[in-house]
Amino acid sequence: MRRTVLLFLFALTYSLFSASLVFAQVQTRIRVIEASNVGSSIDSSLRDVHGQLGSLFSFSSYRLLKDETVTLSPNQPISVPVHPGRSLEVTLIKQQRDTAEVRVKIKREGTDILNTLVRLSPGRTVSIGGPKHGEGTLLIVLSRL
Amino acid sequence: MNHRCSSVSKLLEKYFDQEVTDEEKRLVEGHLPDCPACRETLHSMERVRNLIKSPVEAAIEKESFPWVCQKIEREIRLKERPTVRESLRSWLDRTPLFTRRVLIPAVVALAILIFVAAPLLFKKSTSYPGPSVVEYVESQAYNVMVYELEDSKGTVIWLFEGPEKEISTS
Repeated sequence: MRRTVLLFLFALTYSLFSASLVFAQVQTRIRVIEASNVGSSIDSSLRDVHGQLGSLFSFSSYRLLKDETVTLSPNQPISVPVHPGRSLEVTLIKQQRDTAEVRVKIKREGTDILNTLVRLSPGRTVSIGGPKHGEGTLLIVLSRL
Repeated sequence: MNHRCSSVSKLLEKYFDQEVTDEEKRLVEGHLPDCPACRETLHSMERVRNLIKSPVEAAIEKESFPWVCQKIEREIRLKERPTVRESLRSWLDRTPLFTRRVLIPAVVALAILIFVAAPLLFKKSTSYPGPSVVEYVESQAYNVMVYELEDSKGTVIWLFEGPEKEISTS
C-alpha cells in the first residue's frame, strides 16, 4: 500500500513538473528580411509584413533571408546568426498568460549593439530594423506562435 | 304584565340561550309557572329555533365535508415532515464523507491543493495594455525610435546609424 502511494506521489510530482515546463515554453517565429528599394519583388511569405510596414516605410522590395521557429525556455538564450558578424540572441524572461517577455539582443562581433525587452503576444509582431544590409536594410520580425 | 314579569321577560332570551346566572335562572324558573305570557314567549323562541335548526342539521348530515378531512390529513403530514435542519443532520449522520477515514485525507488533499493553487490564484496579474510592448530598449551604436503601428498589431524598433545615414521613411 505504502509503495503504491509513493509511486502515485512520484507520478503526480513528475507530471506537474513536466506540465510546468511545457507551459513555460514559448514558440517564436523569427524572420530575417532584407528590405530595399531595389526592384519590386515581395516574397509571398512576407505579404503580412509588407502590409504592416507598408504604411510606415517606402520599401519596394522585401526579400526573406531566414525564417526560423525557435522554442524559448525561461532564461535560456537562443542565438540565431543573421548576417556575417551579426547574430540575434533571444531569451525568454517571463511568461504570463498569453504574453511572453523576451529579451532581444543584436550582437556584432560579440558586442551588444542592441538590447531590448519586448512583450510578445499572439497576433502581434515586433520588428527590429535599420542596420544596413547589402543594398537594403536589415529587418527582423519576431512573432509568437 | 306586572313589574316582576317585565324584569323577567328581559331575561327570557338569555335564559333560552342558557346564558343566565344561577340567581337569574332561579328567578325566571320561579316566575314561569305563574305567568302564561312569559311561558308563551319562551315557547315561541323554541318553535323558532326548531324551525331553523331542523333543516340545517339535515343538511349537515347529508354533507360529508371531504375538504375538511383532506385539510386535516395535510396538516398532519406537514407536521410529520422533518425540517431542513433535521434532514441535513440526518444526512450528515448517514453519509460516509464525514467519517474520520475519509475526512482527514480530504482535508490534507484540499490543503495541498490550496497551497499549490494559491500563488497562481492570488498572483498579481500584470496587464499589458496594447501599446506598451517595448519595456526598454538601449543601444550604444544606434539612435533608436519605437513606432506603434496604426492597427496596433505591430511594433517597430528602428535603429538609425546617424543623422547623415538615416533611412528615408515615408
